[in-house]
Amino acid sequence: MNKGGQMARFESITGKYVNIEVQGIEYRVYFEESGQGIPLLCQHTAGAESLQWRHIMNDQEVTSRFRVIAADLPYHGKSLPPESVEWWKQEYRLTKSFFIDFLLELSHALGLEAPVFLGSSMGGHLALDLALERPEEFRAVIGLESAEYTPGFDIIWWDHPRISGQLKSANLYEATSPYSPENYRREVGWVYSQSAPPVFRGDLYYYSVEHNVTHKLDQIDTSRVAVYILCGEYDIASTPEQGRQAASQIKGAKFIEMKKLGHFPATENYEMCKGYLMPILTEIAGA
Amino acid sequence: MAVIFLDSNKVEQLRNTLNNDAEFKLAARLMSEDVLLEVGDSSCIVRVREGVVTEIKLAPGSDDHWSFSIKATAESWDKLLQPSPPPFFTGLNAGMIRGNLQIMGNLEVAFAYYWAMNRMLDIMRQLQNK
Repeated sequence: MNKGGQMARFESITGKYVNIEVQGIEYRVYFEESGQGIPLLCQHTAGAESLQWRHIMNDQEVTSRFRVIAADLPYHGKSLPPESVEWWKQEYRLTKSFFIDFLLELSHALGLEAPVFLGSSMGGHLALDLALERPEEFRAVIGLESAEYTPGFDIIWWDHPRISGQLKSANLYEATSPYSPENYRREVGWVYSQSAPPVFRGDLYYYSVEHNVTHKLDQIDTSRVAVYILCGEYDIASTPEQGRQAASQIKGAKFIEMKKLGHFPATENYEMCKGYLMPILTEIAGA
Repeated sequence: MAVIFLDSNKVEQLRNTLNNDAEFKLAARLMSEDVLLEVGDSSCIVRVREGVVTEIKLAPGSDDHWSFSIKATAESWDKLLQPSPPPFFTGLNAGMIRGNLQIMGNLEVAFAYYWAMNRMLDIMRQLQNK
């Protein structure tokens, strides 16, 4: 009981900072975790942060078997830009090389043994890049809203001095499904209104320019790393058709279309997303 | 069925609803712009002054100025205004991605007040299905 006589409700999520070196530069990285068991390393979407994973981190069905971890990428959330770089003189851009190296350095720093990677949107794209380029690091990758290539989203209006974060908020709200609960749809928009001005567009450089696995997916060996792709029916950026097309080129990969879900399944309607995700996590845990 | 913003019997209801909607008032509070809404060859102009919709003018003439336009076919507007719209019709950007809707004119103004415009679409959807 607190002084007011009311019961305070704590969550099982804990947050910490870790200092890691990526490509020769030290970054102070914020991450959260919850649970014990198989490491489940979660990657947030472009222009967002780790709090997108709060639902799965508070789900005891998952955390009883998985150590769920989610970090804020440098420049996002509580992970500030690096102290040793004059970042204010450069345009922020997330590259594929940095994205992969960051995830691996973080995984190694936390001592993760054969983690499962779970990424959404640009994290979903990264799932395919990791399976292709670093299959030895993960037991499985789960891509939410993955696709081979999604050009056209790296536009100036996301980072324009006369346009506020309201554009991102309203725009990403409509990337959710009309069937998802309104409060969680609004939460998606709220998160997108929070990032520093150049971050969303800078992340889309990876999402829309650098990530391109066209004609490469048949090189993925699912005997080394299992691959799952799940796409929401209402996704307007990485559509179910694109996810299905990507999965069809990876021998042994599994594809699921998530009905009545949009681009942010784990955030906009976790309970519905869980219905698709839990059998996969169970399969991985039993493998 | 005519889209609500071109129905002479309903545009006043639309104007009043927008002016009494807490979210639209918040999103449009700094907006003083004229917006052309087009359904094929038919159109209207929504005039907004400091967040208040002062007029919805049907069949505007060539001397009516506007900042930006939102254009779609009758078929696309029908999908945009369904209670639970299908994929690619949930909002303005969703409509633009597959070319089902176009925003033209001063895009800087359009994107500055994007939230207000999407809320206007929500309100139109609600009234269209009442």
